Formats: sequence, C-alpha cells, structure tokens
Amino acid sequence: MSPGTYAPPIAVLQKTIKRRGKTLALDGLDLAIRPGQCVALLGPNGAGKSTSVALLTGRLRPDAGEARLFGVDPHDLEARGRLGVMLQEAGLPRTLTVREQVALFRGYYAKPRPLDEIIRLAGLEGLERRRCGALSGGQQRRVQFALAIAGRPDLLVLDEPTTGMDIDARRALWTAVRGEIARGAAVLLTTHHLDEAEALADRIVVIDKGRVIADGSPEAIKARVSGVAIRCRTRLSDGDLSALAHVTGVSRDGGRVTLLTSSAPATLRELLARDETIDDLTVSGASLEDAVTRLVQTGAAFPQTQRQIEAA
Amino acid sequence: MSLFHTLAVYGREARTQILSTWRTPQFLIPSLALPLLFYGVIGLGLSHGHEEAAHAMLANYVIFASIAPAMFGFGAAVAAEREAKLIELKQIAPLPAGAYLLGRLAAALALVGLAVGLLGVMAYFGGVVMTPWRWAATLSLGLVSAVLFALIGLNLGLRLGSQGATAFANLLFLAFCLFGGLWIPLDVMPSWIGHIAEVTPSYHLGQLSLMLSGLKPMADVQGHLSVLVAIAVAAVIGSRIAWRRQAA
Repeated sequence: MSPGTYAPPIAVLQKTIKRRGKTLALDGLDLAIRPGQCVALLGPNGAGKSTSVALLTGRLRPDAGEARLFGVDPHDLEARGRLGVMLQEAGLPRTLTVREQVALFRGYYAKPRPLDEIIRLAGLEGLERRRCGALSGGQQRRVQFALAIAGRPDLLVLDEPTTGMDIDARRALWTAVRGEIARGAAVLLTTHHLDEAEALADRIVVIDKGRVIADGSPEAIKARVSGVAIRCRTRLSDGDLSALAHVTGVSRDGGRVTLLTSSAPATLRELLARDETIDDLTVSGASLEDAVTRLVQTGAAFPQTQRQIEAA
Repeated sequence: MSLFHTLAVYGREARTQILSTWRTPQFLIPSLALPLLFYGVIGLGLSHGHEEAAHAMLANYVIFASIAPAMFGFGAAVAAEREAKLIELKQIAPLPAGAYLLGRLAAALALVGLAVGLLGVMAYFGGVVMTPWRWAATLSLGLVSAVLFALIGLNLGLRLGSQGATAFANLLFLAFCLFGGLWIPLDVMPSWIGHIAEVTPSYHLGQLSLMLSGLKPMADVQGHLSVLVAIAVAAVIGSRIAWRRQAA
C-alpha cells in the first residue's frame, strides 16, 4: 500500500480516447495518481505511454474523456506551476550555460528551489559554466532533470529519464528521484528498463493498445505470473515451445528464449527431449520483465478477463 | 501569480534570448555586416559627393536592416527550437506563451536597434544631413518595421521545419529587398516589378521611410498604412492559429 492510496488523486485520466493519425493511441484509458505515489507506466512501444504523458502534461487534449491535473485542466498555468517534466527528446539551447538555463526555468516558478540546491541534486556541480551544446547526452539528461525539479513539483513526470546515462549517473538519478518521493512528490515514470521501474516504483501500471491491462504493486504484478522462467537457446519455434507442457508464455530476446512455466520439471523434461542442441540454459523465478511481457501477451488476447483496475 | 512575478518572467526571458542571440555569431554577423557593408561601400563610397543618394539609401536601408534579424530570429530560430523540442518544454513550464514570443521579439529588436543605430552613425559621419526629428523618425521606423517582419517570420517558424523556414525566410528576404525597391530604386526597374512591390510590406515601409527622412513629400500615407496594417493583422491571425495548433 502506498502512502497516498486514500488521498484524492492529483492527476487523472478518465476514459480517455485519443487518436493519433489512424491509430487509436488511447482506448478509454483510466489512470489516477495520488500524492506520494511513484507510478511506473510500462508497456510495449506504441502502447500509449507517451500519449498518456502528453495528455497529463497538457500537450495534447483527449478526443473524449477527461484529463485533470490537480483538479483542473492540465493546460492551466496554476497546474503547470506544480508540475515538473523531463521529456524523452527535449533539447536544450546550445548557446546558454547550464547555470543560465536552470536559472531561467527556476524563474518560471513562484516558489522555486535555490539554484545551488538544484545543481547539487541533479549532479551538475562543475558543469554550471558549460554551454548546454557542449554536454554529453547523459549530462544533458541531468540538466533536463534539473529543469524538472527546479520548481519543487508536486508531480514529477519522467519520460525515459535515464536514456543515454551510464550506470553511475542512473543510480545517482534514482537516488535523486527517491529524494523527491521522500519529500512527498508523486512521480509518473515511463521506462523501458524494468529494473528502473522495480527500483523506484511502488505501483506498476501496464498498458497495451491504449488501455490498462494490469495495475498493482511490483510484487502483485509478479505474483500474477505464478511460476518460473526458463531461459535458453533453442532451435524450436515459438509454436513448438508454447505447446510444451505447462508453458504459459514464450518471449524472445535476441537469440535467447524465455519460457514461463507453472511446472519447471515437466517443461524441462519435454524441452530437453525435443531439442538435444539446447544451450545456455538457466532456470529462475519470474522477473518483473517476464511478468509484464506475459501480461501484454495475454492481455492483448483477453483484455476483459485480465483487466484489473485500481489494484493499488 | 503576482504581477511582479509575471513581469520578472518576461524580463528574464527577454534577457536570456538577447544573450542567446549575442552568442550566435553565424546569425549576428550577417545581420549586422550585410547592411553596414553594403551601405559603407555603395551608399557612402560610391555615392561620394551625391549626398542625396546616400540619404535615400539610408531611408531604404533602415528597413533592409530590420528584415533579416526579425525574419530569421523569428522564422528560422523558432523553427529550430520547435524541432529541438525546446518550445514544448516551455509550453509545459508555467511560462505564459507571450513571454517566450516577446522575449524573442526583444532579442530581434535589440539586434535591429543595433544595426539601425550603426547605420545612422555611418550616415551621419558620411555627410547625410537631416533635422533631429527626421533622424529619430527614420531610425525609429526601421525599428518598428521589425515587428511586422517578425510576425511574418513567426508564421514561417511555426509552420515549417527549421530547414524549410530558413530557405523560405531567405526567399522572402530577397524578394522583399528586391521587389520592395530597397536595394535598387523602383523607377529604374521594369514596370511589372512595381506591381509586385505593391504587395510587399517593404515597399510601403520604404516609401514611408523616404517621406519621414524628407526625401519625398508626404502622400498617400493612409494607403501605405492600410496595406501594412492588413498584412500585420493577417500575420497575427495566422501565427495565433499556428501557435494554437501546435499547443493543442
């Protein structure tokens, strides 16, 4: 249970429908974020993550349904004053120094953080006088993070925050995000790194084809996929693999296959009998990534039965 | 949000945009060098002894000097910032939309002011003689005309990509200078160019500038102003639509 479960939500998407071109990006998506929650929005590419973020940050308006931020239209200046956003592909002005750019953004907010505190929290010490155009990709992401926390936001939206960062920078950013959560800020995180979601989020929302297919704590999501993951290299096809005894899910990552099974011994016996060339074999408990992959696969097939709303 | 805070946001945005422009030599140098160099060589150098020609060129060049900084500062720069998703972040941040645009306008006006001011200094020392109010009126018109060219540039910047906006701004810039008669007097050019001139803002501004600097009698001021106002209104409406569309 996260701290803000019973507080009124600060960000709401209600039955939102949004078309982007010919595709239906959001198909009646519901999402409510409460104070102090760190929600990770997960799902395959094109699931509707970016569209959800764009709706909540007022960059897009829903075709139907409602988007509310702090009880008002997300486009409202007051709501934007309590929001901090790190966009996936936002640029920085090449000609301004880090300090100038952070100072400029900080000035937009009525009660901003002290400049030096922002610089320190974002790990930008020593880079203040550099022009933004002369920074590496990871350093630019840190400046983006600095801009996002400059106004001491009540909701921090992080869209793929650690893309381009090395491991140390990622961990430092995680620490900073945890600090924001400890301060009472809610966080909406989209990421392709399931370890990042697991490290930060107390609630996982899995979406696919514009709707929520699972919503719960990381533990609850993993528990939805009871069983064990078998990873190996095999020449069997996906069809052969899913026909093996007790297999509940098949996914591929490069040359490796992950089989989810409710009975590892039974599946293994058949697998080894069918393919004597099998290689690189490991057996482990299902990870969050396995769980999400499985939920997306089955959720797409049986959206109604797999759907679980507001489990958090 | 207090008035003081809002004013401070506008002020900081303008200061930052001016700073940013100042640090972009590839934009700054041509904006200043082109009109000053042309004026120095052709206006003062070649017309030596013909003060009237230097005088007339000044009237046209204050308009010429305002076109490039305004159109490129607003056209190409807005398009580039849009492409780099800089504007997107500013649209999310609690920044009034006007602050970004006025900041950009302030930067363009600062540059135009510098270019026009330097032209004035060159003309003064090159022997152009006017009463003080005519000096003030001529140079101010150059500055004010930048607002109109900025609005036209904004339409390009909000509608086109950065490459397209630069190319189109270049094309319009050349057309405005040439067909507006800013470089070569219209009466030495074929008459069909005169018809094109009628629809360019640069022609009408150039005519007003010649009147203000005392080279032409005041005539049909209303006609010139109505065309300019019509272009301005169309540009404001056009850029509002484009801004809304990308903010929606």
